[in-house]
Amino acid sequence: MGSGYALLAIGFTLIFGVLRRLNLSYGPSIMVGVFFGTFLFIQFQAGWYTVLVGTVLGAAIAGAYVERLCFWAIKKGAAVASMVSSFAVWMQLEEGVTIAFPDRTYEFPALGDFELIELAGLSVRQEHVIMLGIAAILVFALHQLLYRTRFGLAVRAVSEDPNAALFMGVNTGRVIFLAFILASAIGGIAGYFIMATEEVITPKFGLQATFKGLIAMMLGGMGSVPGAIAGGLLLGVVEKQAEWYAGAVWRDIAAFMLLFAFLIVRPGGLLAQHTAARDLAALRRV
Amino acid sequence: MLEIADIVTSYGKIEALKGVSLSVAPGEITCLLGPNGAGKTTTMMTVAGLLKPRRGSITFEDRNITGRDPGHIVRSGIALVPENRLVFPDMSVHDNLRTGAYSRSDNEIEDDIDRMFERFPRLDERQLQHAGTLSGGEQQMLAVARALMARPKLLLMDEPSLGLAPMIVEEIFRIIRDLNAEGTSIFLVEQNVHQALKVAHHFYLLEQGRVTFGGSPGDLEEDEVIQRAYLGSAETT
Amino acid sequence: MDDHVITVLNNIGGFSFIALSAYLLLLSGEISFGQQAFFGIGAYASGMFTAMFGLSFWIALPLAMLVAGLAAAAVGALTLRLRGLYFAIATLAFAETIRLILVATTWQVDVDGEPVGPNGSEGLGNIRWGFDNEYAPVDFLWMIYGSLGIVLLLFFLMERSRLGSIVRTIGADRLLAETQGINVTRYKILVAGLAGALAAIGGAFYAHIQTTVYPENFDVMLGVHSLAYGLIGGLGTAVGPILGVLLDVGFLEAVEWIQGYRMIAFGGLVAVLLIFMPRGILDERRVHLLRLMLRGRRPDIHGAAGH
Repeated sequence: MGSGYALLAIGFTLIFGVLRRLNLSYGPSIMVGVFFGTFLFIQFQAGWYTVLVGTVLGAAIAGAYVERLCFWAIKKGAAVASMVSSFAVWMQLEEGVTIAFPDRTYEFPALGDFELIELAGLSVRQEHVIMLGIAAILVFALHQLLYRTRFGLAVRAVSEDPNAALFMGVNTGRVIFLAFILASAIGGIAGYFIMATEEVITPKFGLQATFKGLIAMMLGGMGSVPGAIAGGLLLGVVEKQAEWYAGAVWRDIAAFMLLFAFLIVRPGGLLAQHTAARDLAALRRV
Repeated sequence: MLEIADIVTSYGKIEALKGVSLSVAPGEITCLLGPNGAGKTTTMMTVAGLLKPRRGSITFEDRNITGRDPGHIVRSGIALVPENRLVFPDMSVHDNLRTGAYSRSDNEIEDDIDRMFERFPRLDERQLQHAGTLSGGEQQMLAVARALMARPKLLLMDEPSLGLAPMIVEEIFRIIRDLNAEGTSIFLVEQNVHQALKVAHHFYLLEQGRVTFGGSPGDLEEDEVIQRAYLGSAETT
Repeated sequence: MDDHVITVLNNIGGFSFIALSAYLLLLSGEISFGQQAFFGIGAYASGMFTAMFGLSFWIALPLAMLVAGLAAAAVGALTLRLRGLYFAIATLAFAETIRLILVATTWQVDVDGEPVGPNGSEGLGNIRWGFDNEYAPVDFLWMIYGSLGIVLLLFFLMERSRLGSIVRTIGADRLLAETQGINVTRYKILVAGLAGALAAIGGAFYAHIQTTVYPENFDVMLGVHSLAYGLIGGLGTAVGPILGVLLDVGFLEAVEWIQGYRMIAFGGLVAVLLIFMPRGILDERRVHLLRLMLRGRRPDIHGAAGH
């Protein structure tokens, strides 16, 4: 579960990194993707890869819509307006999905029938092992993209100093747009694998995805990919422990209390580092 | 080479440039001097495409570049060394140079980076260091090198000596002269009038959004230039 | 007036309190996603006081405000170092913790042979004070708008007072406020506490009109709505947030054909509005212009552009 959260947090981090703004509609965009995936499954009995592609595509398209309306269109220096606007669009997406899928609760195709496997003396669900593997591959691919390609260079330049990037001839608007779509697509992959283990979806998944991604991102320290991974894994472990010892309701309570305590004691997150000062400077403008 | 004709640029209702005309001749160093708030940086930003002029035209090598986006202007051969350097602090020196070549698509970029390290040995020693850890002078050199990575025909430099120690300022101006000797045209905005007049072929005085003088360094007493560049003159408005 | 109109008006009034609460924090420069916690605390506390312990509403209301105000001040003190997004998320985490703890908590006492008290996700029911004392919805209407009137009056007095300018100074530039000798810490905690108490008023009325409240009434949707109201209506005056509530609850609820698509309409409205007016309809500039016009003077452009 932790690796799913880590992926959610990475997408969140990517958006926050390039924009220094919070996209509350991140989870709902993924939710749109997941519902599109399930639609393909129900309507055409699509195989797992079609459902995956559909999910990612749906999330990316919803993400593009959010970016244009809430971020691109709102002028610089109005980060609060962007955040509230992304919330407004969240409500649109949630109601849109509810209208299109009136039964609210739908089945999501499982990845397959897997047995529990023994791993270092613990019995583990195979789906979780696969999810961890996918997460590792994605993180590696993302690292290559950010540090080895021209697009990655532009993304990093924009996230460090959008004005200077503009001076270098970077089309910042387009880079932000593409990074946003990329982040939503990563979220879509995370959403697919989380859903494939849970096997049931409701429109409330948007809320969960935003919360879990947000918590994991903030636990790790905002705007850092390694931090997002660490935060996601920590969140997964803590939730499991709390659920085991105190019951299902306490799972979420533990997550939020952990976040609240972390913010008060160590606002920079797990991997608090030199970028924290810059983040704070950026946030003061929020 | 660069012709600016009667440009008007405004921030909201406030006109920062009220009809500025000037030209930069190929192979020369042209300086723009003037007091704070006269519109020097605004002029640079307008040429670089970051601000759109409300009126007037900018021509570069006989092509109209008025109101084009910054990427287009970099590709047409104009690169900017921005005020306050604006290097990417958490990127390595090497990656900073790569951003400078963002507008290029040829495969000589790595060769050019090596050439920059030959020209600026102090950057070579710090290739993998984050740019934010460099000294002010080193960051300025990085900003110049980064702009050169675009292979510009015209280099715009906005206050390159700002906040640097006198020895470093000397070095920066030596670099400016060297670059010019190698054939790069330079359009320079400066507060350091003394140094600027030493390197300039032509200079303009900008006061309150208007050009009030244009000529060669010998045409006006240095004292008067300094007077007008720092305080502005009474008869303009 | 028919019952539906009264219900809608009561809702507008009730939500106005939490919208003003979020607005007060916005003035001091903080975005809170967690004001619903104090709305909820106000609802639960007042409901428990009247239903479980038989207190009068008029005693339960100030007590609930006190409880919520103290809780909010404590959160304000804990989150003092946090700014911007970090503050917003910390308040959200607090609010969700409170809501989930309410889901996990059951504590009931015997009142007239019936168990009364918070019962997990079943909520807190039997808040019969209004019914027992024969208060009709229309009576609550007067109570709500009377209270709202008092609160608004206090807001206007505050905006003209030293406190108002201190709060706006802290909101605009915390460092500047510190250099002017303002004790930022004290005012931040004070503002947080006041905002909490303000939200609790709305919660108390809500609980006594609904007679049953559930933890999910106070989820993040309510919090972000209350924030959105200020941003839609405008940050220039205390009337702004109420205008925001009016637009959402009043306008959209009243227009029948929008019903099925209310969230889509509201979401679109907010998104488009924020593109053109990032600080809301009644922002500082327009409020300034309106004031000038009300005084019968021609607005002079330069004064207005000063913001």
